[in-house]
Amino acid sequence: MRYVKLDRVRALKAPRRPFSAADEWQACLVNPEGDSHSRSRTIRNESDRLAQILGATKRTNQHGDYFSLHCWCAEPPQYSPDLRALKLLLPDASHEIADPEQWLFLDTETTGLAGGSGTYAFLVGIAWWEGGGLEIEQFFLREYSEERSLLFALRERIAEHPVLVTFNGKSFDWPLLETRYRMSRKITPPVPRAHLDFLHPARNLWRLRLGSVRLSELERHVLGWDRGADVLSDLIPRIYLDFVRGGPPERLVPVFHHNQMDLRGLAALSSRVLSLVSDAENVGKDGLELFGVSRICEKRGENARARALYEKSIASVLPTETDRAARHSLARLAKREGDFNLACELWKEALGNSRQGYDAYEQLAMYYEHKARDPEQARQIVRQALDELRRANQVGDITPGPYREIKARFDHRMTRLERKSRRPLLDVLDMESQAQW
Amino acid sequence: MSAFPSLAPRPPASLETVHNILGSLVARYRQEEVLTTVRQIPARVAKFRPLPAWVTSALSEAYRAKGIRELYSHQASSAELVRDGKNVVVVTPTSSGKTLCYNLPLLNAVLENPDTRALYLFPTKALAQDQLAELQDLAKRLDDAFGVFTYDGDTPSDARKAIRERGHIVLTNPDMLHAGMLPHHTKWMRLFENLRYIVLDELHTYRGVFGSHLANVLRRLKRVARFYGSDPRFICCSATIANPRELAAQLIEQDVEVIEENGAPAGEKLFLFYNPPMVNRNLGIRRSYINEATRVAKEILARKLQTIVFANSRLHTEVLLTYLQQANPPKPGQPEPIRGYRGGYLPGERREIERGLRDGRILGVVATNALELGIDVGSLDACVLAGYPGSIASTWQRAGRAGRRSGSSCAVLVASSAPLDQFIVQHPDYFFGSSPEHAHIQPDNLEILVNHLKCAAFELPLSPDERFGNVDLPELCERLGEAGFLHRSGGNWHWIDEAYPADTISLRSVTSDNFVIIDTTGEADGKPEVIGEVDFSSALTTVHPKAIYIHQGQQYHVERLDFDKHKAYVKPVNVDYFTDAIRYTQVRVLEIAEEEAMTGPAARVHGDVLVRSQVVGFKKIKFFTNENVGSGKLELPESEMHTTAFWITLGHGLLAELPFSLSQRQSGIFGLLYALGSMATLLTMCDRRDLGTAVGERPPSAAAEIRWEDFATVPSNAPDAKQFFEPNLYVYDAYPGGIGFSEPLYRIYSTLLRRTRELISACSCENGCPSCVGPTADRSERTKGVALEILERLCRDAQVLPEKTEETA
Repeated sequence: MRYVKLDRVRALKAPRRPFSAADEWQACLVNPEGDSHSRSRTIRNESDRLAQILGATKRTNQHGDYFSLHCWCAEPPQYSPDLRALKLLLPDASHEIADPEQWLFLDTETTGLAGGSGTYAFLVGIAWWEGGGLEIEQFFLREYSEERSLLFALRERIAEHPVLVTFNGKSFDWPLLETRYRMSRKITPPVPRAHLDFLHPARNLWRLRLGSVRLSELERHVLGWDRGADVLSDLIPRIYLDFVRGGPPERLVPVFHHNQMDLRGLAALSSRVLSLVSDAENVGKDGLELFGVSRICEKRGENARARALYEKSIASVLPTETDRAARHSLARLAKREGDFNLACELWKEALGNSRQGYDAYEQLAMYYEHKARDPEQARQIVRQALDELRRANQVGDITPGPYREIKARFDHRMTRLERKSRRPLLDVLDMESQAQW
Repeated sequence: MSAFPSLAPRPPASLETVHNILGSLVARYRQEEVLTTVRQIPARVAKFRPLPAWVTSALSEAYRAKGIRELYSHQASSAELVRDGKNVVVVTPTSSGKTLCYNLPLLNAVLENPDTRALYLFPTKALAQDQLAELQDLAKRLDDAFGVFTYDGDTPSDARKAIRERGHIVLTNPDMLHAGMLPHHTKWMRLFENLRYIVLDELHTYRGVFGSHLANVLRRLKRVARFYGSDPRFICCSATIANPRELAAQLIEQDVEVIEENGAPAGEKLFLFYNPPMVNRNLGIRRSYINEATRVAKEILARKLQTIVFANSRLHTEVLLTYLQQANPPKPGQPEPIRGYRGGYLPGERREIERGLRDGRILGVVATNALELGIDVGSLDACVLAGYPGSIASTWQRAGRAGRRSGSSCAVLVASSAPLDQFIVQHPDYFFGSSPEHAHIQPDNLEILVNHLKCAAFELPLSPDERFGNVDLPELCERLGEAGFLHRSGGNWHWIDEAYPADTISLRSVTSDNFVIIDTTGEADGKPEVIGEVDFSSALTTVHPKAIYIHQGQQYHVERLDFDKHKAYVKPVNVDYFTDAIRYTQVRVLEIAEEEAMTGPAARVHGDVLVRSQVVGFKKIKFFTNENVGSGKLELPESEMHTTAFWITLGHGLLAELPFSLSQRQSGIFGLLYALGSMATLLTMCDRRDLGTAVGERPPSAAAEIRWEDFATVPSNAPDAKQFFEPNLYVYDAYPGGIGFSEPLYRIYSTLLRRTRELISACSCENGCPSCVGPTADRSERTKGVALEILERLCRDAQVLPEKTEETA
């Protein structure tokens, strides 16, 4: 580390640490004894060099200078989502929002990951569809004093493309920028017309397969891209802070690249998610993706489509866990639609020592008790479930917590069933009519 | 409570009953010896004033419905001053209706202008919860015309947004303000833009470290408020201290109006000082104050008077509880009449005890300072203080727990043999006089200030022309810039570090890192039970392996301590002893800040030190007899702290010319340090726990790793007869990084030495006792004489110094 992290004032009195060999080249740029004025001048020179390296330009608005870098990429190609698919992600989406011309992809690099009013967005990358490809603009904070002009420029872009598209931007990037606008006290925070965040859809679609849904992971496994050498995002704040303290501008180049890749990945991912949601039947690569889309459909109340997709995903080969979850969901949908033949069939297949298995026992028992009016059968199912539990507990296939909880549920049901079987018929009928199903 | 006819309705403790108790207390001893003071404080009648005319009808209606038709005079004065836009500090005793002093004018302001926001700060979460109930009741009576919420570590994250938008009154604590609110001030824009009032309750608790931190947190708060265009007023409430105006003005850095007249009524009260009788006059040994406090409490409880017993440590709470529960067993089918109350108990248990006290189901409670501040437990009849709580303000607050409005009550202070206790019981006028003690803070303590300056820079860039305390801000910023924390851009200093500065700064010396105590009895059925918690600093001394941990009078044996996971596994046992940990402390000098030679020959020094301490064993002490019935060794991790210290180096010449044997010299050095530590506490107005003491060899021979006992912790084990060539007598700040007591001690060393000499020479014991140089194991040690000889030689020099060196204190 180039600087010593200090907690104590006393240490502040210590002489400046001599520069290490790696910092030698920079020692000749920065005057160690220099006052802040001369230091800030050298930083200015550094950022000019950065501009040269990157091909960036200095622009000016009413709040002062800001540093901007433009580039255009053919990949990913522009994609026009259909409104139906968009509504699955954003129920109140309008035609306007479905217009890709309105979209603004946004991703920021910040001086810290914890947030709070002392965390700055030093690199704000935005992108929009243009000429069939992606136009990228990056605003960079050479100096904290340029923040206002940067925020003002960003506000203008958001006015041109008012639909914000992000990955985890709802809880991180956008609140952080809102804080920056509030801190500026001069510029009112822009209000996007809509904010589409792809973190949750991506979780629904791919977490089962990938475990993690980091953007770079999704790029590699979903889009089949390879970023090559990329800077670790945890290191980004330090690279920038080192630059601010007079460090080499070259090390920032990979950060700009990283941000560009994030924007391109985000744009490509949004296209992929929307095309999957719109036509999973043909676009879906595997059962897991189909399963993910059906979950989204089910959540938005598109039961028929969800059911068809669940069936399709079960028909393809799914990993055991997911297969169980898919059958469980399908049974739930079938039950909701009154298709008890299918539901019962699925439940019977699902019986076993798993969360869904015990659910299936319970559902079947409920079915026999209330729908089929066959309390004896219901009792038998509950007994079977209790046997299963006991076995699992004996061989240690179930942890004590869930064991107690599930056992209590079935014990309770059994008591009720037994009490019921002893009651005169009229009472049973009376109770039936009040029973919750 | 019809279920408990024996307790309800409770007749007020008449003075006659109290005198009967006194009679039986002194029956065994000569009265003049044991009861050093019997002070009768007469009843006070209420001074009423009408509700001010400007109070909105809805609010006066709501208060009327609660039975409040008139105000006490101090409540009325406070309401008027707040209305006039003044900062106010209200100084009145416990249960004089302080909360109304701020609630009335603030709620009125909110009702007049619904944009108004107010922030209430309480030193603990429990106090905020207590206030919440009162305010919610008022809100209900006012058809929810205002929103009131607590905001603390327990607030669920989904509720936080609503609190930020709809909370007219937000109740929180300084720690949460510091780490949770200020660094995220943009989320609290609504509150900060309209922040008109800040309430600081229990102002006197903000002294020393905590107060110095708070003053800086308030500097940050005012900065943020200014940013949003608001300039809040402060309303403070304090227990009686000598300098409320000064303390408040130092904390808020603005002028304040003081309201000291108390218009609330109070019943008559008898205050007694009880000094346990001497057992051995030569050694200055008195009967155990814990046992004596038990006797006093038993006498009072036997007369069915509801009683609160305060102890100064958790261990003593539990010991007292054990004794009193044995003496007052529950009647068949009825709940335990005597309960314990302290920090480690779970919140539900605490609420239940508070309720039990209010409705009379519980006859007695043994508590730590957890019950000292304004938690509502109703009015009790008597209060027994086992040991002097350390400050006069605390003593009055604890005593105020008995006899809140009417009826007589009594309070008994049972003195321990600690120097401060003995000083108090022997100088009652110091205690009952009008100017008791001063609360001191050091808001410009550079250690603390710089930490908060970092937080301030994180919150808003620092401008070179702003002020933050009385320091050269541009200079400090420049240094923080060089260290890589700040960066100058566009004339302002910006925070440039990834770390979130407030995260690493704790406002209190105690860490929030708790150890959980788990009863493993139910483990077989998969149901181990969490019975309590202890904080990090006391974990090593209370839940080390083989310790007897006492919780609600039940003894638990600690089977295992999982240091990494912060868990202690215990099993209930029934044994006739408790354990006391033995701690070793070693100090190493890192850097000398200032050093000056003194005659003696000796030197005074202050600077940076590294303090290492380790719990190396424990003693088993038998109940009732306090016999040492065994001991054990422990292998526990060492804890290390970088702090500041003041020390005196005794020259070899000084020691060599003393006409005493080696071991006598040895014990004299420890005895002197014992007395120095006590006096330093008094002079710097700090808590005994804020200062640690240790003896070490002066470098360079300090390289040899010698462990010297912390004499204050293990008085009975006299140190091995190791000859010191030139010993250092350390008084260090028991706080990582130091709290800034060392330099003042260095400056006032002549006063320190003179007062210490007075303390020792005025003590009536022969060779040293716990009240002066600490207990002596062997009479031949002549600890007291040696300590005085050393002081004599040191003072020769100190007395000739000009007075002005002492001003910095």
